[in-house]
Amino acid sequence: MSLHRLFDLAEARPVLFDGALGTELMARGLPRGGVPELWNVGRPEAVKEIHAAYFAAGADVVSTNSFGGSRIKLAAHGLESRVREINLAAARLAREAAPAGGFVAGSVGPTGKFLKPQGPCVEADLIGAFAEQADGLAAGGVDVFIVETQYDLREALAALRGIRIVSALPVLVTMTFGSFPRGYFTIMGDSAAKCAAELERAGAAAVGANCTLASDQMAGCVRALRAATALPLVAQANAGQPVASPDGTIGYTQSLEDYVSHVPGIVEAGARFVGGCCGTTPSFIRAMARIIGKE
Amino acid sequence: MTKTELFPKMNEAIVAGDRETAARLAAEAVTAGLDLTEVVERGYVPGIQKVGELWEQGEYFLPELISSAEAMKAAMAVLEPEFERRHIGSRMGGKVVIGTIEGDIHDIGKNLVASMLQAGGFEVYDLGADVKLERFVDKAEEVGAALICLSALLTTTMINQRRLIGLLQEKGLRGKYKVLVGGAPASKRWAEEIGADGYAENAVAAVRLAKALAGRP
Repeated sequence: MSLHRLFDLAEARPVLFDGALGTELMARGLPRGGVPELWNVGRPEAVKEIHAAYFAAGADVVSTNSFGGSRIKLAAHGLESRVREINLAAARLAREAAPAGGFVAGSVGPTGKFLKPQGPCVEADLIGAFAEQADGLAAGGVDVFIVETQYDLREALAALRGIRIVSALPVLVTMTFGSFPRGYFTIMGDSAAKCAAELERAGAAAVGANCTLASDQMAGCVRALRAATALPLVAQANAGQPVASPDGTIGYTQSLEDYVSHVPGIVEAGARFVGGCCGTTPSFIRAMARIIGKE
Repeated sequence: MTKTELFPKMNEAIVAGDRETAARLAAEAVTAGLDLTEVVERGYVPGIQKVGELWEQGEYFLPELISSAEAMKAAMAVLEPEFERRHIGSRMGGKVVIGTIEGDIHDIGKNLVASMLQAGGFEVYDLGADVKLERFVDKAEEVGAALICLSALLTTTMINQRRLIGLLQEKGLRGKYKVLVGGAPASKRWAEEIGADGYAENAVAAVRLAKALAGRP
């Protein structure tokens, strides 16, 4: 018996996540240095429109606009008193945009602060902050959580624990790995295999990789994760590396065609949840939907 | 202990990120009345260089890099007062003003670069994150900095790196400072395009670049 209908679906076929959110907000006027999560309460229609565009493109799951929604991250903008309001709104907006059968994943990103000895935080700080964020997301009606873009395994584990305090919903966890001569590692030096094994032991429902790696590098990382865990795997690659053009606009090195050409390899390597990260748009997701046989 | 015994141990303490030993050995060097410039250059600097190599080879990661930089700083903290007492300029590099650019609150990479520059002998003025453009210029003017280092994680805020260079030009100060840029979206091409003096893709490369621009070995 599966713990969740999203995981039943993942057994039947690869499940499609959405792509980048921040750049979509900017395309709708989020200013430089603006707080994306604040738009959940300030410009809810714009946020909902983006979620709807990803669902329309063929995404099965969208991630809420709450990546930087922890107390620690919001405090950098003086918004620490609005954690619940912002996260609850994030979940509600995605929920409202979801068609029948569409799923909402509550996005939980890193706090941006390191644990001791590299930084000022202790585990209890992070666990508390993540629990508070998750509580708001759960109240707004998410189906699952996705702890994403984590570069410190200890922080990812703290996020899992924090979420567990307030919710029994499944938690997917993606870490950000770089490609090194000895394999795939976080900036803290934890290998893909170690992350997968420890996150599984801590109760993650799925583990994976997102950001940094381009789609042509992702299959290798997925294989490294596969060797260490039997859990369903998540893969959300960047569209290559960001490049600034003379007029100040930003492009990414991978074209849509090149990006999606590597998707079959990523699925073949074992990913059951695929989606995009930086540089991807609803057009990328639409092309991926065709490739994984959704349409 | 003699120099030939001390120097390899200093080197090892830095590579191991052992603050206490690094500081204790520095104190021994002071007590023994050694040439402290030689102590820094032959005892400690090779250690931090080795750490840089291990990082670039993918053997060392961020925690090791931070520990080693901290060990280096601990040793320098012991040696600094002695340099001053003996009226010797200890800082091999110049003064550096560093910060994450206006609109951007991400400071992990910037902190690492600041730490490594300090470990590399620069006098570092770290302005933190989301630093207004004027503050970079004001601080650089105030302390007489040689370098201004700008970090940006976001593709949307990196544009402010270009604006800082514009601000320096407006004020007629562009020739006075070397401007270095870094951060995930930055690149060598970007640095060239906005007229910066250099780009480094990581903290180790940043120290190498800063040294080159400061005319140091």
